[in-house]
Amino acid sequence: MKKEEILKTLHDISADPFPYLRSKRENGAKIIGSPLADVPSEMIYAAGLLPVTILGTNKPIVKAGAHLPDNACSLSRSNLELVLNYHPDDFDGFVFPQVCDTTQHLSDIWKMTISSEFFTSFLIPRQVDRKSARHWFYAETSRLRDNLERYTGSPITDEALKESFRLYNENRHLLREIYQIKREAPGVISDRQLFDLIRSFCYMDPKDHIPLLRELIDILPKEPSDDGNVKVVLSGIVVEPAQLFDILDELKVSIVGDDLTVGSRMIAYDVPDREDVVEALTERHFAKSPFSPIRDVGTRLYDFLLQVVEETHADGVIYFHIKFCESQDYDLPDMKGIMREKKIPMIVLDTEYQSVTKAQTKTRLEAFVESLYGERDNG
Amino acid sequence: MGEAKQKMTAKEFSKQLTKKYYEGAKHAHEQGKFIAYTTAVSPAELFYAHDVIPIYPENHSVMMITHRMTAELSESIERKGYTSHLCAYARSDLGFRELHKSPIGGIPDPDFLLACNAQCFTLTKWFEVLSRRYNAPLFVFDTPQFIRDKRAREEIIKYVMEQIYEMIESLENLTGKKFDFDRLKEVVEYSRQASILYKTYLDMAAYKPSPISIFDALINMAITVYLRGTPEAVEFYRLLIDETMENKVKKGIGVIPNEKYRLYWENLPIWFKFRDHFNLLASYGAVILTSLYVHAWSYDFDPSDPVRTLAENYASVFSNVELEERAEMALDLFRRYSLNGNLMFLNRSCKAVSFAIHELRDIITKKTGVPALVFESDMGDPRFYSESQIRTRIEAYLETLDQLSYEKERGLRN
Ligand code: SF4
Ligand code: SF4
Repeated sequence: MKKEEILKTLHDISADPFPYLRSKRENGAKIIGSPLADVPSEMIYAAGLLPVTILGTNKPIVKAGAHLPDNACSLSRSNLELVLNYHPDDFDGFVFPQVCDTTQHLSDIWKMTISSEFFTSFLIPRQVDRKSARHWFYAETSRLRDNLERYTGSPITDEALKESFRLYNENRHLLREIYQIKREAPGVISDRQLFDLIRSFCYMDPKDHIPLLRELIDILPKEPSDDGNVKVVLSGIVVEPAQLFDILDELKVSIVGDDLTVGSRMIAYDVPDREDVVEALTERHFAKSPFSPIRDVGTRLYDFLLQVVEETHADGVIYFHIKFCESQDYDLPDMKGIMREKKIPMIVLDTEYQSVTKAQTKTRLEAFVESLYGERDNG
Repeated sequence: MGEAKQKMTAKEFSKQLTKKYYEGAKHAHEQGKFIAYTTAVSPAELFYAHDVIPIYPENHSVMMITHRMTAELSESIERKGYTSHLCAYARSDLGFRELHKSPIGGIPDPDFLLACNAQCFTLTKWFEVLSRRYNAPLFVFDTPQFIRDKRAREEIIKYVMEQIYEMIESLENLTGKKFDFDRLKEVVEYSRQASILYKTYLDMAAYKPSPISIFDALINMAITVYLRGTPEAVEFYRLLIDETMENKVKKGIGVIPNEKYRLYWENLPIWFKFRDHFNLLASYGAVILTSLYVHAWSYDFDPSDPVRTLAENYASVFSNVELEERAEMALDLFRRYSLNGNLMFLNRSCKAVSFAIHELRDIITKKTGVPALVFESDMGDPRFYSESQIRTRIEAYLETLDQLSYEKERGLRN
């Protein structure tokens, strides 16, 4: 395949994964959906099932409104809408993680409103700085293993898990490689294309994703080259709608790093090689970068972002706030303060599914990017 | 002293205790004592057992709300970039830290913070802000949803117990003092007694007519929230029960004259409106008797195994169980108190308690046949409260109840 063909294939899947998922299903795959974040896909995959991270829909909200208060975050609302209204029959089951009040109670609503063969919650620790969190993650991951075994009727062997780790590690490794190529030669693929690759990873069987990424890496030029764009780090949980990446491309901004959950947090950490497979998953979980709803050590959330900015020599930070995400709401004022103090330009964009082309968003971004150019060229 | 107390009413005693508690807190630092902020649902017994004074910013926020200070306080932090969508407790508290306004002259700064997320997740984020501000350690006491899965429950209790030991270690580090487990047993015993008495008081709403309304429950809840674990709390509830027995129950006096509708209230109260609501409802012969919220503090402790009992009680609070179980808890109140009306308040401040309200209504309505009114507002911020709208809806609802009972009386309905 040619570069453009591969990118188009992955773009299409990231824009609408359901044709791909249906074809997998026709060939016998069972689809297990999970909202963000931290469900160990490797475990679901090792059970012979296809794990899919649900990233909401931009189609109109029709049914979810009757189940959720108006101030439910845009992500949870559009996740519920996606499954309840647009794809009620496209999933065989769900592994539902809980990270905040919204996800905890959405889990209850989900169980009562969506019928599926399989549902289990995945209760991740909401603190990561004490030993107990590790013990709990281990126990909960073991429970997930048992529940999946009960559902499929066959054991998840350590061998199957290790094979699953190998595949996911390789898949993540290839994504990191492409990210690195982009960092050194930003013009090689666009911002949108980079994130199409990451988003398609949320939906695809690594066995399908890996060969495409390998081919792509073979084709991409590897020599460092500067496209002259200003360089930014993206921060937040998820950037939606994905058209926001097109706007960044249009405005001549190149992404060089991020702390996004659907981004580096998803691809940067591998499962280590350990005798005890559940321990291996536990170690991966605790190696991850901070995540807004989870209590971390001290001010690690802010320090981590500063570190990414420093390492990538970015010109500024674009923070994507999901409308009505309480967790981010509490973080932001202090985050802004720290960025001001460190003299790192940052803009906060309030994003919402279903509202792609808010003129105001574009105008604000334009002004911000212009100021980044101004500062770079004069400073 | 004994004699003086004899003459004191429960109300006076409560006032005295509250005053003493806040005075003690105010001078804690001068006396070399430590202040810990904690959440209303949390193993505060650990603090009492270790001579650390627990302070409840939520409680202080309620005072600011009832003094109608929230809009002003909130605006002061909205200017700093916080949104008006946050919980009104958090906004009042953060605003207090900007403007230093408070009906009781404020609360002291924390040396330590404990956030138990059985109650909500919001508090952990709010306390994170405070923890950064005061450079004080924050301990997130993590209680995974207490799902109905035997194995998960056993593991959750193990996890929570391990955290109690971690918490004890943190307290030892804070104070440099060894934790005393015998003292913990004593404190849990006081908590046990206070909780049983508090529940006995709440259960007086089962009498017909009911001698108490939810407003009495709310006013008298404060002591168990911040003083459970002390002998004074036990004494207070004894006095309160005796008094209610003598003055109301024995004489058959109800809290309103012509009690016709005995209502359930879902969620927290609209704090700055509850007297108005009481009066409006009373004019229809309706009275709100109870809510899962006030029952959140009717624990059942076993002091012989204090660490386990704290874990079990705090992990299983109504806001941390699955919806079906929460509905059963509410239905139990419908049965025991013979409730025949249901006001369901969707509180924009509190996602933790409001989120699945429609599903909750469906279950309760199906099981009881009692129609429910779901309405949206805010517990603390008058800017999100529409007087005429809510009044109209409550009135219309009560008229529906009237119509229903008229039809029932005439056999038009069963
Ligand atoms: S963390 Fe924020 S975006 Fe995620 S589910 Fe909770 S409120 Fe929504
Ligand atoms: S009102 Fe709700 S959101 Fe606010 S602190 Fe209480 S439980 Fe948490």
